[in-house]
Amino acid sequence: MKKSLYLSVAAIALGTGAFAEGHLAGQKITVAGPWLSPEAETINEIFDIFEAQTGADVSYVGSDSFEQQIVIDAEAGSAPNLAVFPQPGLASDMAKRGFLTPLSDGTADWVRDNYAAGQSWVDLGTFKDETGAENLYGMFFRVDLKSLVWFSPENFEDAGYEVPTTMEALKTLTDQIVADGGTPWCIGLGSGGATGWPATDWVEDMMLRTQAPDVYDRWVSNELPFNAPEVVAAMEEFGAFARNDAYVAGGAGAVATTDFRDSPKGMFASPPQCYMHRQASFIPAFFPEGTVVGEDADFFYFPAYEGKDLGSPVLGAGTLFAITNPSDGAQALVEFLRSPEAHEAWMAKGGFLTPHKGVDTSKFVDDTSRNMNDILLNATTFRFDGSDLMPGGVGAGSFWTGMVDYAGGKDAQEVADGIQASWDALK
Amino acid sequence: MDNIAGKKSGLSWAVNISVALLVMLWLFPTAGLFVSSFRTADQISSNGWWQSLFVSEQNVVLRTTDPDDDGAQVLEDGRYTVSGNLYGEAGKATIDVWGTSSRAIDSYVAGETADLGDGETITVQANGDYVWTGSTEMTGRGQRVFATAQTPPEFTLDNYHTMLFDPDNIEGMAKAFFNTLTVTIPATIIPIVIAAFAAYALAWMDFPGRAILVAVVVGLLVVPLQLALIPLLRLHLGIGIGKGYLGVWLAHTGFGLPLAIYLLRNYMVGLPRDIIENAKVDGATDFQIFTKIILPLSFPALASFAIFQFLWTWNDLLVAKVFLIDSTGQTTVMTNQIVELLGTKGGNWEILATAAFVSIAVPLAVFFMMQKYLVRGLLAGSVK
Repeated sequence: MKKSLYLSVAAIALGTGAFAEGHLAGQKITVAGPWLSPEAETINEIFDIFEAQTGADVSYVGSDSFEQQIVIDAEAGSAPNLAVFPQPGLASDMAKRGFLTPLSDGTADWVRDNYAAGQSWVDLGTFKDETGAENLYGMFFRVDLKSLVWFSPENFEDAGYEVPTTMEALKTLTDQIVADGGTPWCIGLGSGGATGWPATDWVEDMMLRTQAPDVYDRWVSNELPFNAPEVVAAMEEFGAFARNDAYVAGGAGAVATTDFRDSPKGMFASPPQCYMHRQASFIPAFFPEGTVVGEDADFFYFPAYEGKDLGSPVLGAGTLFAITNPSDGAQALVEFLRSPEAHEAWMAKGGFLTPHKGVDTSKFVDDTSRNMNDILLNATTFRFDGSDLMPGGVGAGSFWTGMVDYAGGKDAQEVADGIQASWDALK
Repeated sequence: MDNIAGKKSGLSWAVNISVALLVMLWLFPTAGLFVSSFRTADQISSNGWWQSLFVSEQNVVLRTTDPDDDGAQVLEDGRYTVSGNLYGEAGKATIDVWGTSSRAIDSYVAGETADLGDGETITVQANGDYVWTGSTEMTGRGQRVFATAQTPPEFTLDNYHTMLFDPDNIEGMAKAFFNTLTVTIPATIIPIVIAAFAAYALAWMDFPGRAILVAVVVGLLVVPLQLALIPLLRLHLGIGIGKGYLGVWLAHTGFGLPLAIYLLRNYMVGLPRDIIENAKVDGATDFQIFTKIILPLSFPALASFAIFQFLWTWNDLLVAKVFLIDSTGQTTVMTNQIVELLGTKGGNWEILATAAFVSIAVPLAVFFMMQKYLVRGLLAGSVK
């Protein structure tokens, strides 16, 4: 497999002449990121292609505490050449402190032309530096799609349920399942120190389904206060699912304590503990061993309200590459990530979506990934995970804990007031 | 003469029971972790380790062979037939009741035949053998069977195999192992050497303010190391040590010294004054007294502190993360490597349980080799 990759890569390199063979021979490039097993193996294979093309020596190191590590390393002056940021918020903080190097000229134009909704990806990767000047620092590579509902097609078939295409139909189906004696949803917010984040995705999705995209943008930048009625209404939309004992496996009390990694397993239990699970595109990694996505499990787009003319909004997230310690090799590696081969190598592994318009979609490992990518490319509105864009103290702090309180029965307005207060305190 | 040593107290049974209870309380989580290290991820998430030790009733979803597979479907007596065993081989579990729909998982008892409609039927036996027949050729996926079965315990060595022999993993683990030794050995020796000198001075050399110094050292025992992490790291960065082995040795030395000095000083104070005074009369210098008399006599206390310090530094993750591990990946330690085995989303519990047992091998070896000093050392200074 590796050999054939090298061969095809060599052929491409010869064909395009984009990279002079071995022009970085012996140069060492270090990359740090949040990916551990199994993503770490995949990214190493992609770097192998780059090594074969240029002769550079790339070493990738993943860490579960990447977010803390990279800041300390940058302060200590021992930062890696490149960092893979899971959230633009952290990259923005580091750019402001002068730890990032702008990407080479032309990258912004390239992203604008070659990524679907290119301008939004440029905007998401553009931050202010120490002097307040804006530069493109981050290039997105690998995108997660969040607006998905997972289900077991065979369980739907057994019960005679149809995949809903509108939010109204989804709510009818939810009631239908309860009437039939089943439990419609598996929801789990547990995630160790990050407990609560799955609920923030719910609220963001609900925000996009009840309000116009510009309201969402104003909410994320806090021009619209967190405790505004629009936001509280979106939280209550989530509460309508999560705080109803009959709707959730284990009852509403189990929502905050169930680990998000364990909660999808209920769909595959005998008898099924639930029928649907709203979670991002990465979740099949936590389905029971041997579950075939596309056969045993499938997904549908978390639908929008038919009655509200908001199109089909999509919530997503992604990782961006940024240069933390400049070198020729680092710029070359980011340039390499523009090439379709880099994207296709991961597409063939699964668990990878890309807004790159130039990739050969037949390279996707299965139809499921292809369909997900279509959702991404066909979205009328794409919005980035709001909690990743908010300041860390809110997006990775009070928003998480607030949602745990809310799932536990606290009043939505009270929770929203608390989150806004914590945001004010950060200003 | 009833109450002298040798006569058992009437309450010894209570002591024995509470000791047994305490031992069980300590061992219970370890035993659970040990059992879990022989289970697969799905087993760990589906039921508790205590259930895995016995035959248990489990609801499982099984599937027949795909009728589209080559040779799976044969024509017998005019009916298309797929047959086999749901578990792959007979005898893995005993099915009590079963069903063919997720809505009714207990419609049939073992040996009964279910009518699937469209002229198809399926019969499932208690040992998992099934016969699935249809009047026309069957297509699509294998039929799902929801079985309630008595499942015997099942364990696997795969986790240990992954930990110890998987080439993807072994390289990182080997590097981490030697890095950990590079951290622990100097981080054990340096504080012992410094503390031994200090303890001698505080115990046997007369100088003004000695009592206050001892009090300060005891006071430092109370300072939690978490308090000093960030200021110390800033200091290291400021004076150019940065992150690295030197930094982590210094940190471990600093955090270990108060206890080391306290322990050794109390032990040395208890050594007989006559010997030391005799040596002084014979003209020995302080350094000679220290190396020729005090050090050999203090061996149990030194050894016991060495064990403590070794175990702490071996198991340490926090100090290593702050002072040593950076993004180059060259300076990872065992504990960090184990944490990262949990995977990107932190779900690989089975690997974590296994890694815990692999990583305690060295501390266990050290402990058993040196444990005879441990108790003697623990009592250091407490009994005259």
